[in-house]
Amino acid sequence: MNKALLALSIMILSGSLLAQESPITPRAERVQISEGPEVPLAGGYLTVIRWTVNNPGGLPVHYGIVHYGTDPKNLGQTAKNSIRLNPYHSSTVFRVNLYDLPSKTTYYYTVESIDSIGKSDGVTSEVNTFTTQ
Amino acid sequence: MRSKSVLRLFIASLIVLGALFISGGFLLWSSTPQIFNQLIYNPYPPGILPPNLNSEIARVLREIDVVEARAIARWHSLPPPTRLPMRPGPNPPVLQGSGTESIETLGELMLFDKNMSPGRNQACTSCHMPYAGWSGPIPSVNATIIAYPGTVHFRAGKRTAQRHTYAPFFPVLQFNQEQGLFFGGNFWDSRATGYRLRNPDAEQAQGPPVDTQEMGFPDTACVAFRLQQSVYRPLFELLWGKDSLNINFPANTEVICATPGGAAVFGGNPEPIKLKPEERTEAQSAYDHWGSSIDAYEQSVQVSNFTSKFDAALKGNYKMTADEMAGFNLFNGKGNCNSCHVDGRGTTLQPGQKDTSTTATANPPLFTCFGSANEGLPLNPRNAFYYQTTPDSFGFIGNPFGFGYRDLGMGTFLRSGFGSAPNPNQNWIQFAPMVDGQFQVATVRNVAMTPPQCPTTEAGTGKPYFQKEFFHNGYIKSLKQLVHFYNTRDTSFAYPVTSGHCPPGTIERVTCWPMKEVPNNLDTTTGMLGLSDTEENQIVAFLETLTDGFTAPYPNSDTFTGQCATCDPATDPNCSPSRQGNGELIPTPPLPPCAPAICGVSPTPSPAIQ
Repeated sequence: MNKALLALSIMILSGSLLAQESPITPRAERVQISEGPEVPLAGGYLTVIRWTVNNPGGLPVHYGIVHYGTDPKNLGQTAKNSIRLNPYHSSTVFRVNLYDLPSKTTYYYTVESIDSIGKSDGVTSEVNTFTTQ
Repeated sequence: MRSKSVLRLFIASLIVLGALFISGGFLLWSSTPQIFNQLIYNPYPPGILPPNLNSEIARVLREIDVVEARAIARWHSLPPPTRLPMRPGPNPPVLQGSGTESIETLGELMLFDKNMSPGRNQACTSCHMPYAGWSGPIPSVNATIIAYPGTVHFRAGKRTAQRHTYAPFFPVLQFNQEQGLFFGGNFWDSRATGYRLRNPDAEQAQGPPVDTQEMGFPDTACVAFRLQQSVYRPLFELLWGKDSLNINFPANTEVICATPGGAAVFGGNPEPIKLKPEERTEAQSAYDHWGSSIDAYEQSVQVSNFTSKFDAALKGNYKMTADEMAGFNLFNGKGNCNSCHVDGRGTTLQPGQKDTSTTATANPPLFTCFGSANEGLPLNPRNAFYYQTTPDSFGFIGNPFGFGYRDLGMGTFLRSGFGSAPNPNQNWIQFAPMVDGQFQVATVRNVAMTPPQCPTTEAGTGKPYFQKEFFHNGYIKSLKQLVHFYNTRDTSFAYPVTSGHCPPGTIERVTCWPMKEVPNNLDTTTGMLGLSDTEENQIVAFLETLTDGFTAPYPNSDTFTGQCATCDPATDPNCSPSRQGNGELIPTPPLPPCAPAICGVSPTPSPAIQ
């Protein structure tokens, strides 16, 4: 039997299942961006900004937030999307969607994340840039 | 033309019998299904309704009769109750030994009782049959209008029929202050909160009997009235008290309960049956017992029985195939499915990895976190709800907003909005903008359940298949599309179009995903997963292991008498799991702005929804 399945079955049969609801897990001592931020899609209709951090832990729902604008000194626009942490993963991927950006336009942005009651994960990226198609 | 002849016949009947039966302004209405069914409400453009709808509705009713007969036999086979000495009075006895099976059998009898509708033509199971995991039993409806016609043909609701399996395990709806999230409740929008009966599943069972587009009684007391007439009344009274249905209904109750809810003649009155206060209380108690009894059945091993391949594998009694195991690992890994569809999995500890396991529970995994999420489904123009903009024969209009309706899900419920239910907790109203577009994270269990003779949900696999519908609006037509949607929703396949308008050179549901119906609060846990085509197929293979009926036959799964679907990929370009259902795509008409009655109710959506 696959080791994962064996581990799961042992835990179930021994009564040591995880809580059914998304669990609250211990918060990471420090959250760091390990990959990105990057822009895997820079379309006119949909732009996706993605970055990876070590699993911040804490409340199960977090929000990735992008502050952006065409002036690197004025990132006045904000977009955010929720993700649900996977307590079984050592890292967490945040993705934020931006819609209907004008084409062939250069944007500057930073990223950060918070939990569902607004507490920051304590990491903000430096200013990055992308140009829409 | 035919319906005009029937109407003339009714008017003639009315004249002949009017002196005896007209009372209080109510029309005489024969509750025979044949006549009821013939006053057709059809506001739909050509091609919206499936051509076999009437025959399929009739088929399901015959299947319901089979199960009801089995339930009656089961009732009669129950051992006589062992009555224990109790204090005098009408208190129900404690049913030592047979109590559990008695209440479960009662719930089954109720669930399959088509007399629980004005036309005596619709049971709960008209939309929830066991062989489909207790979801929609008519493939052509699943492929087209997605919502099932109610007692009035063809009023219909706006969402897919959810699976009953494991619904009883959802907790009472609560707002978790610590997490800032809602958990629990039943229905797609969590409006069956469980706040009264402390059981959302029981309160869910109370909804359809008085839903204008579903079973459609005009008064909750009609449930007690029809229970009074039911063949299983003795079982109800055995469990809930020998006087529990002794209500003196007025003479016009039959006429009232044979008239569908929402009829203009009622003038908006939700309690047209005139009962004394104490009798209204008794009728309400019977209505509550209805919900509790059905919940007992849905919790039982007749419905929720953990008999899947996955359950067997956990016990070491089934060896997953390579693809199933790969899919399981993707479900927990790259697919990230178990972040919401919690599988109770313990961490497979890697060197240096921190164990973040939390408190154990006693039940096998339910594959849900009991929460809600907005997965960004496109608006489905096939949905029957959009077309019910004109009055039916009873003067009822299902959806005056037409395509100006947007399904905000839980957001509408928290606002006590149109098409939902009253929100019983004023403290929750403020959270409506936070949950706009969110729908229940359904259990994944039995998502792939089909009748045994149609062993798959997927077209073009060489096996006969059973067409199902997925998500709240039935836009997705196969498990392959479901996984592909999660995988690619937010990639270059995303286009600023509505359904039916994908650009040339793209294929909707394959290389083109239309815009989200409600962009607010989009969850991006998924949407750009980077899964390969093979990996998508492997996740589908894993989902199929979650179908009950592997370690023991699934009760009443043998009752499907319809036709499985087949297709030929050589002649049908849509004969594949990826393109399944694309033959039924229609262009979404130009969408009006969201109606103020939906999107203009305080606290309004933020950002505003157009």
